[in-house]
Amino acid sequence: MYQKIALALAFSPRIEALISETKRLVILFDSELILIHVGKKTTELEGKLEQVVKDADLPKDKTKIIWKEGKPGKMILDACREENVDLLVAGAMKNESFLTYYLGSVGRKIIRKAPCSVLTLIEPKIETTGFSQVVFNGTQTPITPFVIEQGMGFSKKVQADQIFILNEIKMYGLQMGTAAEDSEQEVAHTRRQLVQDEIKYVEGILEKLDKGDLKISIKVTGGRWAIELARFCEKIGADLLVVGDEHKLNFFDRIFPHDLEDLLSTLPCNLLIVKK
Amino acid sequence: METLNHKEVINLLLQLAAMLIMARVFSELARKFKLPAVIGEIIAGIILGPTILGTLFPGAQDYLFGSHEMANVALDGFVQISVVLLLFIAGLEVELQVVWNQGKNALKIAAASMALPIITGFVLAYAFPEFLGVNINDRAVASTFFGLAISITALAVVARILMDLDIFKTQTGLLIIAAAMIVDILGWIVFSVILSLSESGAEGIGVWPTIGLTLLFTLFMLTLGKGLINRVLPWINKNLAWPGGLLSLSLAICFLAASFTEFIGIHAIFGAFIIGVALGDSEYLTEKAKEILHQFINNIFAPIFFVSIGLKVNFVEAFDPGVTGVVVILGLLAKYFGAYIGGRYAGISRKESMIVGFGLSTRGSMDIILGLIALETGLVSESLFIGLVILALISSIGSGPLINWAQKLKI
Repeated sequence: MYQKIALALAFSPRIEALISETKRLVILFDSELILIHVGKKTTELEGKLEQVVKDADLPKDKTKIIWKEGKPGKMILDACREENVDLLVAGAMKNESFLTYYLGSVGRKIIRKAPCSVLTLIEPKIETTGFSQVVFNGTQTPITPFVIEQGMGFSKKVQADQIFILNEIKMYGLQMGTAAEDSEQEVAHTRRQLVQDEIKYVEGILEKLDKGDLKISIKVTGGRWAIELARFCEKIGADLLVVGDEHKLNFFDRIFPHDLEDLLSTLPCNLLIVKK
Repeated sequence: METLNHKEVINLLLQLAAMLIMARVFSELARKFKLPAVIGEIIAGIILGPTILGTLFPGAQDYLFGSHEMANVALDGFVQISVVLLLFIAGLEVELQVVWNQGKNALKIAAASMALPIITGFVLAYAFPEFLGVNINDRAVASTFFGLAISITALAVVARILMDLDIFKTQTGLLIIAAAMIVDILGWIVFSVILSLSESGAEGIGVWPTIGLTLLFTLFMLTLGKGLINRVLPWINKNLAWPGGLLSLSLAICFLAASFTEFIGIHAIFGAFIIGVALGDSEYLTEKAKEILHQFINNIFAPIFFVSIGLKVNFVEAFDPGVTGVVVILGLLAKYFGAYIGGRYAGISRKESMIVGFGLSTRGSMDIILGLIALETGLVSESLFIGLVILALISSIGSGPLINWAQKLKI
């Protein structure tokens, strides 16, 4: 599924934990590991990084270290493109006063422009994170079948216990508002139909996929998908949220934040952004 | 404070009861024929007003709507509140998420579907102001208004048509909805500017300050205003009675915004519309709350407003077949081809562009509100207003079958 996994490295206190988490994924997916560091290559830093690699016991033949100088976001993206990376792993930032996690401006830029999927870990651990409860965004968008397929592949590899697929009924308020011209029975029927349509949509996608031993539950909601996903993840204590990204975000998305941008500002759990 | 006397109170209550009962009867009839409720409500107004009741039973019509001036003033207050609330709900219907997701294509379609009717409407009205009945003393503004009036799409009506045809959630359906939302936003911004220009004349604040204030207010409400709403709403949801607290405070901020825009020289309805957009876009306004607001306003205040139209205009006396014919033909063709060209420019297929064209040609709510305000401001004549109402009726009846027909085309 992922031939090449990259990790963007900074010499922070979490470097060992991030390497450990990535190593686990590299082993699970039988991938090559690309370590990307943006900064001046000095003998001291080179020695430090080699020591970290040695301590983590990374397979030498499958590990490549790339040094780049320049703007961190741009350099990381360049390295991903040059190496045809399939999955980029990054750490989130922590707001110590509110105990919440978010993505900084470099992280956001990477996610907006990354040519590959991106896994953001909020609290990387040396003993590695278990992905027991995984939530997928099942809202009807062109990329959703691919998101569910990729999410299932990932969940099987990490041996998730439970999968939740959360669907948003688009413009529920508007649809029910216009349906309010009907009789009580018709309104109830419309309401049921809206829920059924969402369930059918996900079932249609799942039919074509190998589900393995995964336990899957479909949930339907009536709000904005990003917000509802974040709330649902917090409520069930999810370990991983899988969403798709089909278009590059731009300046206006920062002024009028929406969907993905809503999630990036307050990460409810680890986040896998699937790109085609 | 001056109050209504005993007889005036009775008269006002009878007026409201007659309007709501007739609106209900005729919207139910409209429903039987799969037509939007607004059509039934307008017909109810025509029956209650000078057109039918006033002609057949002038005494009864005069007793109900002409015998007590103070009761009529109070009724006008209800109508004003209704129109503000209708715009508020129209704002709530706009989902910026949907607009962003559809992106440039929706913008291209919306812009083209507005540009062609505005340009053709302007040229025609400017060339023949007396024939069409636009105010010759305010020729440029009134002509622009006419173009704008035939460029509006009725979001709620088109949403219902798309739901009935089961294409609401398709790519084409969402594109139509997103484009209709953009048309709503652009339409009300342009209309507010036009209206302020018309009203300003000698004593107004001028063109550029009006445009600047309109844009500034819009930007402020959709950024900082929305941020403020996002901080206050969670507190309201958590600490106040639900949905009572949310409903009363939502309406309160709607009236505050409306009075603010009226104060700075933009029409009150614009404030109500923009606060609706900002509030509707907040993640803390639940879909259930939106549904309640919809039901509350659409079933009580919307009928009062749409019935009141028939009370103000005599649809037989002021009817001019020539003006109506021109308005209907120009309105349908310019809007359809504008949206069609926009669709082709956005790179969507001929068939889809046709569906988008027919979808966006649906009128039936906002355009009538816009027309009535222009009539009351003296920008257009009663004949032209009737033409706009008939355009709304024809387009809301015809859009569904035309979309259905276009869907079956093998092109």
